[in-house]
Amino acid sequence: MTGSSVSLEGARRIVRRGLGLSAVGVAGLAGVYLLALNFTPVEARQGLAQKIFYVHVPAAWSALLAFSLVGIASMLYLWLQDPRLDRFAAASAEVGVAFSGVMLTTGPIWARPIWGTWWTWDARLTLTLFLFFLFVGYLALRAAVHDPVERARFSAVVGILGMLLVPFIHLSVYLFRTLHPQPIVLKPSAPSLPPEMLRTLLISTAVFTLIYLGFVTARYGLALAEEIREEGRDAG
Amino acid sequence: MLVEPPMNGGYLIAAYTVTAVILVGYWVRLWRKATKSGGGKGKM
Amino acid sequence: MLSALRLALAIAAKDIRAELRSKTALLSALVFAALVLVVFNFARDPTILSPADLAPSVLWVTFALAAMLALNRAFTIERENAALDGLLLAPVPREALFLGKLVANLAFVGTVELVTLPLFTLFFGVSLWEVLPGIIAVTALATIGFVAVGTIFSAMAVRTRFAELMLPVLLLPFMVPPLIGAVQVTSRLLAGRPLSEMLGWLRLLALYDIVFVTLCTLAFAAVVDE
Repeated sequence: MTGSSVSLEGARRIVRRGLGLSAVGVAGLAGVYLLALNFTPVEARQGLAQKIFYVHVPAAWSALLAFSLVGIASMLYLWLQDPRLDRFAAASAEVGVAFSGVMLTTGPIWARPIWGTWWTWDARLTLTLFLFFLFVGYLALRAAVHDPVERARFSAVVGILGMLLVPFIHLSVYLFRTLHPQPIVLKPSAPSLPPEMLRTLLISTAVFTLIYLGFVTARYGLALAEEIREEGRDAG
Repeated sequence: MLVEPPMNGGYLIAAYTVTAVILVGYWVRLWRKATKSGGGKGKM
Repeated sequence: MLSALRLALAIAAKDIRAELRSKTALLSALVFAALVLVVFNFARDPTILSPADLAPSVLWVTFALAAMLALNRAFTIERENAALDGLLLAPVPREALFLGKLVANLAFVGTVELVTLPLFTLFFGVSLWEVLPGIIAVTALATIGFVAVGTIFSAMAVRTRFAELMLPVLLLPFMVPPLIGAVQVTSRLLAGRPLSEMLGWLRLLALYDIVFVTLCTLAFAAVVDE
């Protein structure tokens, strides 16, 4: 049961909406690039590479958002048993992989000129690495379970456990870091940003959130469409 | 005294390119799945 | 509450007895742990890395790998004998079922760890005797953590297509905080550091155990019930 009275055409509409939304978002990304390159000051000590910050941080935010929503949807699913929640969680997990990918590639590319090393076990990178592994495990589990209800339940358990793991990873990194402070080649961006930098960062975060929403909507619609098609095949 | 910022623009280009490739690539993947007329595997 | 506990212990006793009868899994796990220790010993250059530096990490990687073997085995045997289905038909509270499985798995993994420790002392030339209570405490704390999550994941994995691969993929991220904590505490114990330096990590381990044992106990019903 798809758990909703949506037709195939309705599902396709959801997909189109999602694709449209994310296309606007991706176009917005080009705008962010322009903004970051031409209308935002260059940080004197870190140089141009500092501007990676404007995609790296919003990507981290999107990945974390995706992950939190998987966890919340999982909890709600175990409580309400609504398959729409399960479908949403799965969509959010797949989109989360994409954003984690951005994080895990831009992270080292940023770290190399700034910190002098490709990888650093700092809180943000380590956490994203774990989110990536958790997403992948979640999706692998889904691929390996046949029965949709069992798949939904198992995924929900992993989603909730994963969500609770995150604070422990954070705590571990924090405890580790206070004993092993990282060698710093160049100091990363100070917490108090000049207004133009803050503005670019906020706009970029909004764009990334828009892309996330568009992707999740489209992915959700695709899954729904596939389920409806399968039901039609089984019934027909 | 004016300090020259380090010449690390190459990293910036790499990062911005990779980000665009991943996000646009994912969009294309979703779009391809959407335009396949039935029988496509959208199941999660 | 008390009857549920007694039930859990009965389930645990059943599993442990079954394991003691066959012994094959226990022996394989022990041989595996010994082999891992040997490989690590030959893999490092003693002139560059002293045994003391590497020892805690080696010990815990060994424990982690052996634990995953044990967890896999536990539910595979159940599945083969369809024993779990019988248990599920009975009105056994799922929490008690989980705790019973947890205790049985802990007994199994604990035995492997207990036998591995003297081997470890022997191969790596580190003395555990003075800090033995500390070693036992940290081993218990960390093991409870990852065996709890491992027990629920192996219950899931056994119902999937690639059970042997699925368990490590799911479990490894969850093993990291207990492992980091365990390695940090163990290395400080071996170096004779004061307790104050380990308290943060010990608290992490304890908190992890409380959170995840509770959560897994409650979530077990969602995994085994139809």
